[in-house]
Amino acid sequence: MVLQVKKACKNFGGLSALSDVSFSINQGEIFGLIGPNGAGKTTMFNLITSMFTPTSGEIIFNEDNINGLKPHLITKKGICRTFQNIRLFPQMTAEENVMVGEHCRSKSGVISSVFRTKSQRKEEDRIHSKANELLEFVGLGGYAEVVSDSLAYGQQRRLEIARALASSPQLLLLDEPAAGMNETETSELFHLIKKIQEQGITVLLIEHDMPLVMRLCDRIAVLNFGKKIAEGTPAEIQNNPDVIEAYLGSEEEDLYA
Amino acid sequence: MLAELINPYYLQVASFILINIILGVSIYITLSTGQLSLANAGFMGIGAYTSALLTLNFDLPIIVGIFAGTLLAGLFGILIGIPTLRLQGVYLAIVTLGFGEVIRVIFVNWESMTKGAVGLSGIPHMGREILNTLRGFGFDPKILGLQNNQFVFLAIFLILLVATISIITFFRRQNRSRVGRAFAAIKLDEKAAESMGINITYYKVLAFAQGALVAGFAGTLFAHVLAYISPADFAYHRAVEILIFAVFGGSEVIWGPVFGALFLTAMPEVLRFISEYRYMIYGLIIIIMMAVRPQGLIDVNILNWVKLKTSRRGQKHGTSSQKSM
Repeated sequence: MVLQVKKACKNFGGLSALSDVSFSINQGEIFGLIGPNGAGKTTMFNLITSMFTPTSGEIIFNEDNINGLKPHLITKKGICRTFQNIRLFPQMTAEENVMVGEHCRSKSGVISSVFRTKSQRKEEDRIHSKANELLEFVGLGGYAEVVSDSLAYGQQRRLEIARALASSPQLLLLDEPAAGMNETETSELFHLIKKIQEQGITVLLIEHDMPLVMRLCDRIAVLNFGKKIAEGTPAEIQNNPDVIEAYLGSEEEDLYA
Repeated sequence: MLAELINPYYLQVASFILINIILGVSIYITLSTGQLSLANAGFMGIGAYTSALLTLNFDLPIIVGIFAGTLLAGLFGILIGIPTLRLQGVYLAIVTLGFGEVIRVIFVNWESMTKGAVGLSGIPHMGREILNTLRGFGFDPKILGLQNNQFVFLAIFLILLVATISIITFFRRQNRSRVGRAFAAIKLDEKAAESMGINITYYKVLAFAQGALVAGFAGTLFAHVLAYISPADFAYHRAVEILIFAVFGGSEVIWGPVFGALFLTAMPEVLRFISEYRYMIYGLIIIIMMAVRPQGLIDVNILNWVKLKTSRRGQKHGTSSQKSM
């Protein structure tokens, strides 16, 4: 098991964004987290990456409790994420964005950088070549020198994935990677995530594009109003009455509506 | 021939330009992590007073004073940098400006030590000390065909030039490394930088401390070039002046504040009649720059344009060198 979430709760003042959510993700699988808007999916991501601390509950990564660790240490442990609303470094080139992602896997400090020691130059070369490999991997081979702000939307999404991969994560969290993509881009994204899985990286995916989720995920958990209402394979989820109700509403409600 | 060209007055103006360039670099460093610090005048004062007092009261060599003053300013940078980590934008600017005023008030009121508002005079002069030391080895400026005061100001100018070039080189190299990328990432999006594994606490305090070190260093040089300092030298006006270098020249690239310091220090000297209206002009510059060119005069686009022009010219003459910037 790569990640275990045990009875995670998060309250914002009196509002409970997540209550008693538990699930676990196995090594190498693509795990989907779905649910209507406001169900608490992104809050879950923020708990896992320690941008929020859980009100109660535990998050265990590779048998270590990672509650309350600083976000940069979570990345160092091997969890990295993308953002729902793209958060690239806008004035940097695509290559520089990915190079920043390699920060926690490199260690040159001020002194070695200023005096350009041998190990620092070696490390810079390594960072460069890895950044270019990753750009190639996500299909942005020719865009290394392009300022990320001026990339197309779908390209920016893929660049964010490349930047996250640069930290050599074991667990990659993707927050709505297909949002705003057309069908061709979505199918490219499908192949990209499959390729990431083939590299042995476990993926936790938030996504609203149901056909994509159903084709891609090995297992899925469904959140609604901060509670987990179902967990299982795509086929099980599709036939779960609670899930159908959450997404479409029940017939009684329709009557009173 | 050489002797006629070396005019002590011009050399002194050039020396002030260099000190101001170092101050411009100091505000650029903290700005490169997105933190606007107006404490650099205070750090400069700490450096200047520390070095001046050590050399005056304990007869220590100037170089020891410079080291001690610079390090103490850096230490204060860490002390101020840590509690202000949570502050951003205007709030950080206000707190750091307040810190600078606190430092000035301490200089004014700690009379037993700092002689209050009167200031410290008779601080060992860098150029004269060098001349005296060299004289001990039987050197006489006349060998170079120079008068004593020409030699003194030339020595100061050369030392400051070396110091300035070293500092600029230091930070240009740092910028193009892992540390520089971390700084830039924090400036552009702090949350994203943190999630990409960057320890933002460390890098923000590092930038703050580096800014303080450089400002303190400039302060020590200021003390030993002028030989006289008073609390008024490190007051609010100085903080604003340093800020103007970055606002006018730009803070995206290191050449911005360097150019700002160069231009704004030379301007009142060249146009004498302007110098009385200096602070009015500074105010005007801020307003005009906000409206017309918020990123400052020098930005990445201008640098690329200059690079393009110079590399073309270079190719024509066959002296083009790849990646010269």
